[in-house]
Amino acid sequence: MSALRLGIVPALLLALTAVAQGQEPRLAGRVPEPARTQVNAILTAAHTGGLPTEPLIDRALEGAAKGAPAAMIVAAVTRLRDELVQARSAFGETASTAELTAGASALRAGATAASLARLRAVRSGKPLTVAAAVMADLVAAGVPADTAVGAVLALASDADDADYLTFRRNVQRDIALGASPSAALAVRIRAAVSGADAAPSPGTGQTGPGVPRKRKP
Amino acid sequence: MTEQDDSLEPIIEILREPAVLRADLTDRVMSEIERLPLPGPAAPNPVRWWRRGWTIRLTPLRGLGLAAGLAALLFAVRLGGRPRVGPVVPLGARAMTQFVLIAPTATSVTVVGDFNDWSMSATPLERAGGVWSVAVPLGPGRYRYAFVVNGAIWQRDPEAPAADDEFGRANSVVTVGGT
Repeated sequence: MSALRLGIVPALLLALTAVAQGQEPRLAGRVPEPARTQVNAILTAAHTGGLPTEPLIDRALEGAAKGAPAAMIVAAVTRLRDELVQARSAFGETASTAELTAGASALRAGATAASLARLRAVRSGKPLTVAAAVMADLVAAGVPADTAVGAVLALASDADDADYLTFRRNVQRDIALGASPSAALAVRIRAAVSGADAAPSPGTGQTGPGVPRKRKP
Repeated sequence: MTEQDDSLEPIIEILREPAVLRADLTDRVMSEIERLPLPGPAAPNPVRWWRRGWTIRLTPLRGLGLAAGLAALLFAVRLGGRPRVGPVVPLGARAMTQFVLIAPTATSVTVVGDFNDWSMSATPLERAGGVWSVAVPLGPGRYRYAFVVNGAIWQRDPEAPAADDEFGRANSVVTVGGT
């Protein structure tokens, strides 16, 4: 038996033991105690409750990579867990991990659980990940939360992921060129709803592609 | 002149007469030639085709490809008696996402984020002049990330939207769509 194989077998056994004991092996050696124990407890409860644990692990690892103190890591993981719970109640039990993560981001940005539920209702049967992510991105770009939520909901029935990403890119470009976030959003949402292929960028005189209008049968 | 010479004289006289050729002789000869079948390959012989040797020329690369294909086919047949079709992964399920940072004076750049467990060694960027870049396959989702320059300096992507940060170091965010 080679040395490599001799090393792999104990490592696998250790990993399996850690999983069986409710410990996430990726946290070992990276997340300091007592944060690791507390995060593992949160992960176990989340798993039992049917919540995805991967976003929580990512948040803990992010904190560890950035050298955050234990209390800050636990607080961040706990907060994200609460947001995932809210997102799941809005999006439904069948929502994917990506959808819940994006929904949590939108909640963090200022969207309400009711607006996420509205998004779910309008986009019945369509993926929610990008729509919810664009909500968060627009707020991060300086658009007021309720305005960003309204814009995403206005496009919700027709837009696909590419439309949302184009819309967000255009708004952010207009802001980068000097438009106010609210003005940029207002112009782009008008162009998107009217189906204009090119809309003037507010305050810049430049033009750019708008969100293509969907033809309804 | 002898008696024998006298008997040959009429024949000689005939042969001395000039030959008279018909004026259309050339046309008639050419038309006869045109009627003849053209020379070409012999009619296909099925027996000869089966007994004939063949030479197949392959480059080493094509030979390896052919061998790999045959091996895969044999493996599939051994698995279930016929080639199996795995789960269909829709195109675009994972999009190659390019991360780029302009850092002419950097000696190393890595990208850390939700897609690589925030590992500082998992995804190093490659340098081309002063531009550092790497392509990462990502499925639909919203991913937070940051660059780490020279192993110590955290830097958000100036070309991407900012993300919320709870740990005191700025993040960026990339959103990958699926439709």
